[in-house]
Parts: sequence; structure tokens; C-alpha cells
Amino acid sequence: MSIGGLNVSERNFLSRIDLRLIALVFTLNVIGLINLFSATHGPHSREVETLFIQQIVWLTAGWTIFFVMTFIDYLWINRLVWFIYIVNVFALVYVDFFGKVVLGGQRWIDLHFFRYQPSETMKLCLILVLSKILITRNPEGPGMSMRDLLFPFVLLFVPFILTMKQPDLGTAMMLMLIGGTLLFFVKIRKSILVTLVVLGAVALPVIWKYALKDYQRHRVYTFISPDSDPQGKGYNSIQSRIAVGSGQFFGKGFRQGTQSQLEFLPERHTDFIYSVLSEEWGFVGSIAVLTTFVFLFLVCFEIASRARDKFGALIVVGVSSYLFWHMFINIGMVIGLLPIVGVPLPLLSYGGSGMLTTMAGMGLISSVAYRRYLF
Amino acid sequence: MRTQYISNPEEARDFLNRYRPFYIFVTVTAAVFCLRLMWLQIINGRELRQYSEKNRVKQTKIMAPRGLIVDRDGKALVENLPGFEAIISPQYIEDLKTLSENVAPIIGLEPAKLTEKIIRSKKLNGPFSMIRLKDNLTREEVFRLKRIRLDYPGLEIRESIIRYYPLREDGAQLFGYVGEISKKEIEKLNKKNAPDLSFEQGDIIGKSGLEEHLEKKIRGEDGVSFVQVDAHGRQTVTEIPNIYGEQIKDIEPIHGNSAMLTIDRDVQLAAYESMVKMNRIGAVVAMKSNGEILAWLNSPSFDPNIFTTDVSTKVMGKLSTDPFKPFRNKVIQDHFWPGSTFKPFVALSALQEKVITDKTIVSTPGQLWFGNRAFHDHNKNGFGSLDIYGALEKSSNVFFYKMGIALGVDKMYNYISLMGLGQRTGIEMDREAPGRLPSSEWKKARLGEEWQPGENLTMAIGQGYVTATPLQMAVAYNTIGTEGKVVKPFIVKKVTDHEGKILFERFPAEVRDITLPQPNGFKIDRANFKIVKEAMRRVANGSSGTARHWKVPGVEMAGKTGTAQVMSFSADQIYQSCAARPIQMRHHGWFVAWAPADKPEITVAVLAQHSCHGNTGAAPIVRDIIEAYYKKYHPEIIKEALKKNPNARGAATPDNNKPGGSVGGDD
Repeated sequence: MSIGGLNVSERNFLSRIDLRLIALVFTLNVIGLINLFSATHGPHSREVETLFIQQIVWLTAGWTIFFVMTFIDYLWINRLVWFIYIVNVFALVYVDFFGKVVLGGQRWIDLHFFRYQPSETMKLCLILVLSKILITRNPEGPGMSMRDLLFPFVLLFVPFILTMKQPDLGTAMMLMLIGGTLLFFVKIRKSILVTLVVLGAVALPVIWKYALKDYQRHRVYTFISPDSDPQGKGYNSIQSRIAVGSGQFFGKGFRQGTQSQLEFLPERHTDFIYSVLSEEWGFVGSIAVLTTFVFLFLVCFEIASRARDKFGALIVVGVSSYLFWHMFINIGMVIGLLPIVGVPLPLLSYGGSGMLTTMAGMGLISSVAYRRYLF
Repeated sequence: MRTQYISNPEEARDFLNRYRPFYIFVTVTAAVFCLRLMWLQIINGRELRQYSEKNRVKQTKIMAPRGLIVDRDGKALVENLPGFEAIISPQYIEDLKTLSENVAPIIGLEPAKLTEKIIRSKKLNGPFSMIRLKDNLTREEVFRLKRIRLDYPGLEIRESIIRYYPLREDGAQLFGYVGEISKKEIEKLNKKNAPDLSFEQGDIIGKSGLEEHLEKKIRGEDGVSFVQVDAHGRQTVTEIPNIYGEQIKDIEPIHGNSAMLTIDRDVQLAAYESMVKMNRIGAVVAMKSNGEILAWLNSPSFDPNIFTTDVSTKVMGKLSTDPFKPFRNKVIQDHFWPGSTFKPFVALSALQEKVITDKTIVSTPGQLWFGNRAFHDHNKNGFGSLDIYGALEKSSNVFFYKMGIALGVDKMYNYISLMGLGQRTGIEMDREAPGRLPSSEWKKARLGEEWQPGENLTMAIGQGYVTATPLQMAVAYNTIGTEGKVVKPFIVKKVTDHEGKILFERFPAEVRDITLPQPNGFKIDRANFKIVKEAMRRVANGSSGTARHWKVPGVEMAGKTGTAQVMSFSADQIYQSCAARPIQMRHHGWFVAWAPADKPEITVAVLAQHSCHGNTGAAPIVRDIIEAYYKKYHPEIIKEALKKNPNARGAATPDNNKPGGSVGGDD
């Protein structure tokens, strides 16, 4: 079989690999590093050099994983899916009971050289396991019935509840969004979709009252009315908005951002990294990053639609949704459109678990792209 | 097969029409974000920029005052004084050149240097890091800077705290000094103190001595002050509504904990006064018999107060090239030949080993031939027949050569190590030297050579491989005085927080009683201690004792003088007058003693470097220190004794410098 007049055997490594994907991810990496340097080198920063160098280490490791993933046939991974899913669930259980407590949540397993966050890798495992079972569902016709959905729901709720328990509302919600996107993609019956939405609306007050912690409720309050408590809970939200807005059109310049350098911004190197960028590089910089992300999604969708099989397509859709929802919630929160939730911005925020997971996911997409011509 | 099924491309096409909502959602999101960014950054940008600039709260560090260091009576040894410092925040500088031209001369700096300093810091630490231009401003400087401050945004005069050392040169190596942390130190200290403490640029830390050793305990916790400032860094009353609602409250610094030492300021001052009066180089340590250090000083010394301002390179250069090393804490960091002060240890070994008894008479000619070499005494004609009392009183070399031959190195090693020589005393100070007490095994392992019989002779008079720190000598002599009790000397009595709560307290501790058998199977009987104690009492009180000329009225001291060569001399140089040599070639003099002779309260070790003799060089200082101690704690004894005999201090000065009077190695 040939496409565009070329024979499969003539295609070398460089033309099979998706260079657009690599270029876009790399661009975001570089922007991320420049920005992280500024965020970690303020006048009062501590451990400055270590954080920045750590990130470079994570990036290097991330790209290694990316290329390893690219060259592994994802159909081979398909056979291991159940195993890694179960291992990951056990890791979550372990964390819930023996994990390191940081900022009021138990999220980590200390591996000494690295603090492993099982909820982060769970996002990928969930994508894989759902993709594996959803290939048998038929997107033609009316969509999945309640019976079709039962098993996927179980696979989704187990890690969701374990993550909620840590408590890590942000990641739990992210699992829901990623899983939901995949189910939606494969098609759900309209009647069930409506029922779920209604059920969700009813459940919301119940969750509000019983499932959420005080600090989580506060975040929502302050989102609705941030000025009610400007020094307390609304502080982050206001400071972030001031940071973004004060960047104006061209920004204040590299390392010149008063909001970030003088530490008005909390969590500058992780959750609020985009505010640092917006303050120092202004509207121009903010839009540039946003556009790069949009291009990345477009490339991903295109790769998905040209995948050689359903499993590949579903993986790409899952990983893209992972990337999209992180970006959506993080930037939405930073620019004051969404409440403050602890979700990092992929490829830009500091963090080992996040960086490695993202790069592994991008590697999976690359793997699908690599095999798109091998029909 | 299943894998064949999932890799069916036709199936993948089923999804093709499912992507549309995704494209739409991404596009809508991007559009909404884009609009929001425009709203914030372009439409509201100016207002928000104003918020970020005009309504800025500046955080500045309020340095916590370091804890005081006081003596055993609570009198200040190290304290804090208020002062002023000049600071500049680079981000507010409008015209660097004119600023440098006008500010630099006031603080005594080249304008070009100031410009360079600011540019370098900006490059290194970013524009928001404040730069300390000068500490410890004079009133004149404060006045002149205040007058021009408004013309140069970013320039500030802040109150600061200056560490003050009222004793100045006295005990400077013990108390140490403070200075601004260096980049290397930030890294090192942050690694060492990881979770509990963190240091940053601009911090003042202890650089040596107790200031360094007690850093963690006395540094306190810095506070933060939040000041609302305008775009020029000046404190303002805002016209624009305050986005923070109200002023954020300052975090007050927590005063560092105070340390109370075992040092007695009066004894310390007397010791220093005596050293200065005699113009001596060397080390002094005075200890209570339970191990509490009373005085500790080294000479020459430096004034630690110079480090609180910028030290001039000239002063620094002079101090660091001084051949007598003013920064060394010689009391524990340097070890020396003990010379004749080693003889009491050999005497104890010989008595315990039954080489002699207190009745044994030994003939001591002017020299002793051993092998094919003559070993000299410092008295050309010898001392005739001596028992152990006479031998120590007159400090006969030949007597102890004979003891050395009879005992051998390893017997001496086993007994003398009981008294702590060759081991660190364990005092809570950094960089203590262990000194050296040789054994044949040590020589074999270290130098790969057999122990030579001749070396037993040199060892027996405290030369050759033997070395000890002044503190080790004090502890070992204290062991003789207390008849077998080895104590662990200490200097920090307690640490209290700013409310007076005791956080840490140390009590005297006896390490071992060597009248009981020790792990190496050796002990020294109380009766033998009594013999040596009596002999050492005679050193200071007997008719021919080497230290008889220096007395504390009403109190008997017991001790031993010693002289340590600084180098070997050829035969014709041996009898040359020590004082005729250049200073760096003169012998070190030792005197180590305790009082009262029968039941010691205080033990003092003085090493007077290049003073030629232990008696004239070191004994007067020991006397002055013990006298100061008695004046303070038992004034009635001294008063009464002086009433009876006004010359009770024994102020006579012997002529020790006549040619032939002294042989290198002894008094």
C-alpha cells in the first residue's frame, strides 16, 4: 500500500516520526525553562539553582521517555495495560495509607531520588485501560447504553475515589474529565448523557456539603467573590490577575516582573507559572503560548484521525484531553475565569511527576504517529 | 486474533466524524481565553499595572538581634549596639551615574567602584535584591545621606544592630566574630542545617569561635516588615484605594537565645592584663577543678569589632601575615612540646611501676652518656644526688633520662594516656587538635620505623614526638591535683531564650577516676599522686623550686615549669643565652599549676611563646590569674596574708639569662 506515491519500505525514520509534534512540544519546553528561570531566581528565592537544574534533569528524562515510547509499538503496551493499571491502583492505595503528607494531602511515595506521585501516572493508565476496553464499543448507531458503560465507570471510579481521599480534588477531577472525554468521544446515548448531566446537577449540592473540605469550599467562595477576603483566600486570585494584567501588551521584561520577583504570586514555579509569563512577556507572550498549545491540539487530533487502529486513535484522544484539560483549568484559573485548583500547566510548570507523565503521554502520541503509515 | 482486530484501520475510520465537537471546543476555549487576556492586559492593563506598582507592599527583613554571650555572673562578653546602615534598591535607581558620584564620597568609596558594585549585584541577583552599601555608619554619614536621600530614589538608611565585643582583643579567638555570609557558606550551611535553618544573602553569621559554634542557638529568627511604597521605593500614604484592604502586620523578629559561659570576666580581664603587661605571646587557659573554663585567651590577638565595619585590607593583611598568628586559637588548635611540664607524668609512671619509691636516691651528673651520645642537663655540673622531690623541684633532666630508660616508651604511654594526653579533651569548640603521645606501635605505623632506645630519654623530658595543647596540659595537671579525676572541660554553662527559659544546661562531668583500673589495665595509686603533688608544691614553694619567686599571698600553688625548644641547636649554641637569639628562635616557656596545693580549686596553664623560660616567662601570669581568682572568691585569705607579710607575692626576679645558666630544654 502506498500513500502519496511512496512505498512503506522507502520511508526512513525521520519522515515517519512526526516532527511537528516534536517541534511544538520542544518550543513549549524552552519557553517553560526561560520562564522558570525567572520564577526561581527572585531576590528571596531559596534552593533556586536546584529547582531550575532539577527541571532540566526532568526534561532530559522526559525526552528519553518520549523517544522510548515512540519506538515501542503501542500494541505491545496494549498487552500490559491491565497489569500497569492494577499496579497503579495499588500504589494509590499505598499512598493513601503510608504516603508523605505535603500541604495537607498525602500524595507522594518517597523513592529518595524522586518523589513519585501515583495519581499523576494514573491519568495515563486510565487513558490506556479505557482505550483498551472501548475499542469494542461501536461508535455507529445510538451510542453506548448503560450496560456498556458499567465497566468503564468502575475503572474510572476506583482511582477517582482513591485520589479524592488523599485529598487531591484537582487530580480527581482531572481523572473524571479525561475519562468522561474518552467516553463522550466513543459516543454515549443521548438519553444517558442527559441523565448524567441532571444527576450531576443534583449531586453537586450533596458533594458540596459532604465531600468537600473546608479549604476547597473556600476556594469556590473566593472565586465567586474574591474581594471579600483580599488578604486571605482571595489573595492568590487577585495577585494572579494583577500579575497578568500588569504585563500589558509587551510585558515588563525578563526577570522584571514585580508580582513574581517580589513574591506576591504564590506557587510561582508550579501552578502560577503562566502568571509569571503573562506579567513578564505581556499579551504577546501569553497569546504565543496559547497559540502553541492550540497548534499542538490540532496536530494531535490530526494524528488521531490518521491512526492505523482504534486503540491508537483512542490513546491520542485521551492524551490530548489530558493536555487540554490541564491547560484549560490552569490558564482559566490564572486569568480568573475558574476557581483556584491545584493543577499545573503541562510542559511549563515545575515538577517531576507531571513532566515525566506528560512526556510519556506525548511519546504515546508520537508512537501512534510513527505507525500511521503502516497499514 | 484480537491484535489483528484492533489494528484494523477500517475500524479507526469509524471515529472520523467524532472529532468535530473537539475542534469546536478548543477553538471556543482559545477565543474566550484570548478575549479575557485582552480584557486584563490591554483594556484593564494600565489600571492593573498601577496596582502592581503604586500599591506595592515591600517586604524587608528585620534582622533578629543575636543572643548575648555573658560570663558566669551574667556580665556581658559579647553584646549588641544600635547602628545605621545604608541600603540601595537597584530597581528604583533613576540615574546610576549621578547617584554614584554623589553617594560614593560620603561613604568613602570610589564612584566607579560603587557603580560596578551595583551593576554586578543587578546582574547576579536581579534588580530587586537590595545592596548593603555600608554598615555601621557614623553620625556624620547618616546626616549627610539623609539630606540627599530624597534626590536618589532607592537609597535608604536603616537601623541595624552592631555586634559589640567589649573585651576587644581579650579572648577574641574564643568568642569569635561575625560577618556577612559568603556565597559558599550559604550553600554549605543550608546543606548542613537543611530543614531547620535557612540562610540567604545578606545574613550575618558567626565566622569563628563561639559565635560560629553557637550559631544555631543564638542567631534568633528574622522578622519581616511590610511597608507600602510607591514606584520609587519611598514609603507612601496611598491615594488609590488599597487593594489589600488594610496594612499587613509586621512579623516581629525573635531575639536570639543568650549563652551563659563558665568564663569569669574578672579572671579573664586579669589574665589579659597580665599577658599584656609582660608583653607575652602565647596561650592561657584557666579552669575550675570541675572542668568549668574560667579564662581563655591567646596572644597576639585582634579586635573582633573591626569586622562589623568593612575591614581595611591593610589591617587585614597585617593580621593575616603576622608570624605569631593572631587568629589561631592556640589553646586548643596548636600543640607544643611540653618540655619539663611532662616530668610529673613520668614521675607518676615511675612510682606506679615501682622503678623508684619516694625514698630512692638517684645520682644526677651534668650529663648522661647513652649509646654514643651525651644527654645534657641544663645545669652543667649536675645536681648531685636527688630523690623524686628534689628532681621535680630542680627539674633535673638526668634524673628523668634515667626514668625514661627504665620505663621505656610503652609503659610511659600507658600511664600518661590515662591523663588524657594524645586525645581531644572533648571541649565543645570546633577544630580541637589531639596533640600526640607516642608509643612504639604508633611510630611503627606512622613512620615505619622501630622505636630507638635514645628516644626514651627525649620523651621523658617532654620532647621528641610528645606534643600537647595548653588545654590538655591543664586537664592533665588538674588530674594530678585532684588525685586521679579526669574531667571534661566545658565553656557553655547554659542557653536561655529571650524570656529566660533555660533551653540547655551543662553540668560538670568526671570522665574517669584513674585511681581505679582503666580499660587498658593501668591505674595510678592515690599515694603516688600524693608524692608527686608534694614535689610539685615544692616547685612553687621549696627553697630551690624553679617557680618559688611567684606566690599568691596566703595560698600555696603546686605546679611545674617547662621550657620547650623551638628548634635543635648545635653543641656550641646550646649554652648561648636564649635572650641573645632572635625572637623566633627563643624557647617557649610553660607553667602549669593549681591552687591550693592540697585540694585544687583552679588549674591554670600558660604557654609563653619565645619567652625563653617557664619561670620568668609564664609563672608570673599564672600567679596573677590565681591571685585574681582568690581576690574575687576568697578575698579574706589574701588580705590577711598581706597584713602579715607585705612581700608575700615574692616579687623577686631571678637572673636566668646568664650564659651557661640554661640548656635548651629545661629550667
